[in-house]
Amino acid sequence: MKITVQNKNGELAFDCGARESILYAGLRQGINLPFECATGTCGTCRARVVSGDIDVRWKEAPGGARLKPEKGDILMCQARARSECVLRVPSELAVSDKSPAIRRGVVRGRRRLTKDVMHFDLHLAAPMSFQAGQFVVLEVAGIDGGRAYSMVNFDREASRLSLVVKRKPGGRFGDWLFDASADEAEVELFGPLGRATFRPDEDRNFVCIAGGSGIAGMMSILECASRADYFRSHQAAMFFGVRTLADTFYLESLSRYAASSHGNLEVTVALSDEAVVAPLHAQYPILKLAQGMVHEAAAKGMAERDRNVIAYVSGPPIMVDSTLRSLITGGVPIKDIRYDKFS
Amino acid sequence: MTWKRICDAAELAENSVKKFDVDGIPIVVVNYGEGFRAIPPICPHMEEPLAESGVVAQCILTCTKHLWAWDLRTLEMQGETERPLKTYETKQEHGAILADIESELTYEFDTDDNDSDDDFFK
Repeated sequence: MKITVQNKNGELAFDCGARESILYAGLRQGINLPFECATGTCGTCRARVVSGDIDVRWKEAPGGARLKPEKGDILMCQARARSECVLRVPSELAVSDKSPAIRRGVVRGRRRLTKDVMHFDLHLAAPMSFQAGQFVVLEVAGIDGGRAYSMVNFDREASRLSLVVKRKPGGRFGDWLFDASADEAEVELFGPLGRATFRPDEDRNFVCIAGGSGIAGMMSILECASRADYFRSHQAAMFFGVRTLADTFYLESLSRYAASSHGNLEVTVALSDEAVVAPLHAQYPILKLAQGMVHEAAAKGMAERDRNVIAYVSGPPIMVDSTLRSLITGGVPIKDIRYDKFS
Repeated sequence: MTWKRICDAAELAENSVKKFDVDGIPIVVVNYGEGFRAIPPICPHMEEPLAESGVVAQCILTCTKHLWAWDLRTLEMQGETERPLKTYETKQEHGAILADIESELTYEFDTDDNDSDDDFFK
């Protein structure tokens, strides 16, 4: 079906299948429709239907709270076309040569990292190129809606994507993944997506601030940087916030990245709900420990460092909001802040 | 000109954002160090309440929800910001901040029913 999107400067058209969201259809054909989360939580992909018949998948999507459905407002990530449609979007449109695509993968290598965090791999039917820091949206048969996860690994033509999921009470995807029946399950994914990316050719020092499973994309960034021996000539700081010591994971990998960084990568683990204890030091002597919220640890750490950095932020929405606020107050320009907010 | 008193200048610390009610009209006042701005209470992007989502540093007001930002000295849009910030004219008299509030400034997030749909883009 033909979808025409208009903005104040003109219009673009693309084709949309019956079983894909209008957002994904546009993105995979190189149309840079506005979006952030691609999963119904942020509201950035809002559009107004001028004509055509739309099927809205997740009617209670929190990102749609401020839409006016009576005027035809929709979230494009939740909309499927039942006919040819004309939509209006309130932002600038362009065509890009890098497009995400619908892909298939098989779940393997599930590995429990904490009581509620699971690492797993997706073995792709065909390799995918992505930039460190990007994410994919997964869909599993029988569970409504997509879930966005950042890649933990980094490879040029990756045939395996490593992902990490935090299980939340009542979260159907987490429940599904924590059960052994998920092994060898086939999932559909869409991606790569996201602009909070790291590229070695940008030639900048950087700081990563992650809450919980928000560390996923940061691990990809550190892997990409390590492979490029980026820390021979650049400095970086990583702040990883979790509640307690029992909630930490990837500490071994983080230690390894720090150890091979020529002293230029400093990793701090911030525990919000537990007094800092000695044992972690003994096990991972290269990691620094802090007590308190991760955005506070980062603000303190950054006060002693050069502000001319790219700042990557990822984690739960409240953590991201607090961190953005403290970065801006701390004098980091918004053009140097890259973030993902997953709820 | 309809000058109305909003608050005492001393009520707003430097780099703070605060919401006031002026005869039923919600107004956010920002002290950006070099001066004050009186603006509508929501971000023109996605209607976030700026008294909570807004942060000021180096004379720049940023909505932390999606990083739309404006330089409050010039009102110049920063970064990927796509819409201008509306402002009430302000002045200070005897330590009070006054704004010219003829009628409430609003952003068009959707169309008037009797008008063309083009307001969606404004």
